[in-house]
Amino acid sequence: MSTRVLIADDSETILLLLRTRLEMEGYEVITAADGVEVIEAINAGSAPDILLLDAMMPRKSGIDALRELRAAGVETPVLIVSAHQDEMDAGAATDVEVSGYITKPIDFEKLFSRIAELTA
Amino acid sequence: MTIGFAIAFAVLTGLAVVGVARFLQQRQDFENATARSYQVEIAARTRLANGIQPAAARTVILGQQRKRQALRDDIGGETRDTALLVGAGLIAGLTGAALLFSGLIASMRRPLEELVEASGRLAAGDLNTRVKVGGLSETASLGAAFNEMAGELQRRAGERDQLETMKDEFVLTASHELRSPLTSVQGFAELLMLERDELSPKQADTVEIILDNTRHLVRLLNDLLDLARSDAGRLTIKPATIDVASLVEDPVRTMLSQTEAKGQSLTQEIAPGLPPLNVDRDRIRQVLVNLLTNAHEYCPAGASIHVTANNNAGGVELAVNDNGPGMAADQLDHIFERFTRGDAGLTQHVGGTGLGLAISKSLVELHGGGISAESVEGQGSTFRVWLPAVTGRGSNDAGVVGGYLVQPQEEAL
Repeated sequence: MSTRVLIADDSETILLLLRTRLEMEGYEVITAADGVEVIEAINAGSAPDILLLDAMMPRKSGIDALRELRAAGVETPVLIVSAHQDEMDAGAATDVEVSGYITKPIDFEKLFSRIAELTA
Repeated sequence: MTIGFAIAFAVLTGLAVVGVARFLQQRQDFENATARSYQVEIAARTRLANGIQPAAARTVILGQQRKRQALRDDIGGETRDTALLVGAGLIAGLTGAALLFSGLIASMRRPLEELVEASGRLAAGDLNTRVKVGGLSETASLGAAFNEMAGELQRRAGERDQLETMKDEFVLTASHELRSPLTSVQGFAELLMLERDELSPKQADTVEIILDNTRHLVRLLNDLLDLARSDAGRLTIKPATIDVASLVEDPVRTMLSQTEAKGQSLTQEIAPGLPPLNVDRDRIRQVLVNLLTNAHEYCPAGASIHVTANNNAGGVELAVNDNGPGMAADQLDHIFERFTRGDAGLTQHVGGTGLGLAISKSLVELHGGGISAESVEGQGSTFRVWLPAVTGRGSNDAGVVGGYLVQPQEEAL
């Protein structure tokens, strides 16, 4: 069974890019437009092996969604995608445990190796 | 105190004036009495000449002569007393005047000294500095003018700081907003390149150009972000202990493919027994890659680039030397400023952002180190980065953000 990745980004273009690249690598992809949809997908039982969340999204940010999931006892690995170092620093300062950070523009080789590591 | 002196001065001067007035009055009384005495004597002498009671007249004449003698003696003593009084009054008055003036000077000196001190503090950048307004009207208005000036300076500095903050926030926001579309452009161009075989050679070249320019934009964006962080005091380093060899070898290895492609030689020479450094590996790597990229891009094909690491002044000096075109002295003076690049005629061939050296300088200084450049036109350039060793001059405890310490490494080599 292939690895299932849940990706969340408020940009449809970026979602399309991520989906295309991940599917080319043989991953099964679920998409969400914001943190609210991430929570809904998890509650609906989509059970991804890893989450790839954009740090800043309207309605509910990736960090907030992560905090909510961890509080609910969801231990799935989470990679946070952020525009730059400042956001990563801000994310690191919070109480939630993050599996790693990916910066934009995305280095896909690095992303694939991180996903492989975390879902091994 | 000043008022006390003024009163004493006035009283004593008054005393002297009273003394002089008294002397003049006594002199008038004496002259009047003497004149009356002469009139009486003349009348007696007339009676004597006419033979009227000559014995009585003689007695009157003698009496008047004795009386005038007494008046003269008397006025002599009076004059002496008055002179003493006037003298004493004058001396006291002059002393009072001297004291009054020293009091006046003292009362001006204090506010003036305070103004001088406040000006010093203001010049040193303490814009909250104000002086107490008081004392004589002149010093008071001087103090008020000073306070007004300081207030105006403070207001303008506040406006400038506000503008600076807005600029920094703008750059941070712009950088964030530009990153999403850039991620898409780069990502989809890469996607196309994954299917390069299905593209015509012309199409593949086109996509390659899109990718090159996208990467350049990303680099520019990263540099601008670093500068904005540096300006906002948010450029941070995460130091860890690291040995010099691995610090130098990694960027050199990264650059080798590019220098080889241009037929340039890239060599390194690390002195044995160098102390470990406490630096942010990624940031120092960024500095070295920047110096190596500059050497690679500005030097013609076939040039030599040599990297050295040596013990120097309680730290390690990393130097990147090349035998490229070098720079003129006036270019060298501005090389660490923003958007400064070597010969403008070369910029078209050079892919840098013009920000690399300015950022490198900030990063090295953040580590408590220093950066310098030497160049001889037509012979080559040398860029030196000095970093403090872990022990010894420990100016950078882990996580330290400030600590701009420019090291004495200006020696011409």
